[in-house]
Amino acid sequence: MTLAPAHVAGVGMIRFGKYPAEVTLERMAVGAAREALGDAGAPLAAVDGLYVGHVFGGPVAGQRIAAQLGLDGSPVSNHENYCASGATAIREAWVALAAGLHDVILVIGVEKMTDRVSGGVRPDPGDLDAAVGYVMAAGHALSARRYMADHGATREQIAAVAVKNHAHSVHNPYAQYQKPISLDEVLGARPIAEPLGLLDCSPISDGAAAVVLCSPAGLRRLGIGGPVPRVLGVGLVSGSVLTGTGNLNAEDVSRRAGEEAWKLSGVAPDEIDLVEMHDCFTIAEIVRMEGLGLVPHGQGAAWTADGHTALGGRLPVNPSGGLLSRGHPVGATGAAQVVELTWQLRGVAGGRQVDGARTGLAYCKGGTVNGTDGGSVTTVVMAR
Amino acid sequence: MPREPRPFREGLLTIDPPRLHGSRCSACGVTAFPAREFCPGCRAPEGIQPVELDNEGRVHSFTVVRQAPPGVEVPYILAWVDLPADDVRLLARVEGDVELDMPVSLALTPFDDELVGFCFRRAS
Repeated sequence: MTLAPAHVAGVGMIRFGKYPAEVTLERMAVGAAREALGDAGAPLAAVDGLYVGHVFGGPVAGQRIAAQLGLDGSPVSNHENYCASGATAIREAWVALAAGLHDVILVIGVEKMTDRVSGGVRPDPGDLDAAVGYVMAAGHALSARRYMADHGATREQIAAVAVKNHAHSVHNPYAQYQKPISLDEVLGARPIAEPLGLLDCSPISDGAAAVVLCSPAGLRRLGIGGPVPRVLGVGLVSGSVLTGTGNLNAEDVSRRAGEEAWKLSGVAPDEIDLVEMHDCFTIAEIVRMEGLGLVPHGQGAAWTADGHTALGGRLPVNPSGGLLSRGHPVGATGAAQVVELTWQLRGVAGGRQVDGARTGLAYCKGGTVNGTDGGSVTTVVMAR
Repeated sequence: MPREPRPFREGLLTIDPPRLHGSRCSACGVTAFPAREFCPGCRAPEGIQPVELDNEGRVHSFTVVRQAPPGVEVPYILAWVDLPADDVRLLARVEGDVELDMPVSLALTPFDDELVGFCFRRAS
């Protein structure tokens, strides 16, 4: 069974970064929402519902935003799947449109982190891994060390992910960091969880991104005649409890999320022209691309170092600069990826445009659960 | 009067002798740690028995954590430790030196001022 696609009528975001205390979660969300509504030419009265993805925003953050934006009284729902929260809100909006419940939905991903998170994010305190001392950076460091041992990959090849994504970010005015970095800078950065250093890690960020999704009736309501980029389908899976002592980087959860995406969208993996990938850490981009089946297992590091995943390469990954450079306000990231894919599919991404982009994939992985291969994984397939 | 030492989580480990406790499926033999009420191997919802895990393991991967949220003292070594006798992989701290594929043995370590946790150390 496939659902009808969701049409992207408008997108917008604020530049990710570190904002002072007076730039609240609500203000950031309203800023991104106004950009998206303006891009869609949508008056507030045309919006049927508000779906908000966030993690640290506290109870009914979406309703607090609605009361600032002028969508008070509307159906508002809050969606938490850790770093996949924004993409989960987009999935639920897609389902509601396909079901005929709504025709115009505003989705916002938002996070205010810099005033409430320090030293890195970690699992829920009740999770056994947290009690043992797991932090996200450590999990990816464990992945990296074993990946190097199993595949003969080098530290330099893994660091090349950061060099590549920062090179892309130079062309993204919405990125927290917009300057190139050298391989030596990545290798020489302060160690966080060995072998990974500071520049292997996405930053702690504030930010918001918003998307106006429509049914065909919704497009008519907004007076949009021509074709617009579409969300064809959004896969969602959660991690499985692992058994045995197999391949640490099997990324079966990514494989399953990919299978969901291909099934729901009708798009085959070899039709994907670009990927916005959840590079919360350098090694994560490599093993997740492999798990999806878009890069052969064990070759992702070499592919990166050889330029195959750079702009102009055979499969550009993170033309936006990725989480490493755009920043990672966790609940906003999934929405920001869809904003980027929309710009890419419209052909308006400027210096970071992927030539001839017709079909794109956005991947988020959120959270960890003891004994499993992940928390939540989302896969958004879009086409122009 | 000093209190009896207690593990940081009930059912996870015992102190004398030091052992980790998991569960084993009586249908397919898959061992889980920590113990679960279903079998993650064959999905059996019943016939799950408590089991003491072997104390001997091997470091499958490790990292030295040098930055952590406030209140967590760094640096420390975190590792994936494989227990070949049980075909179980678990996350644990390693104390002392560490290298890839190093044989390790279970040890007890203070979890906080009151409770007892577990770690692994190079096998003697």
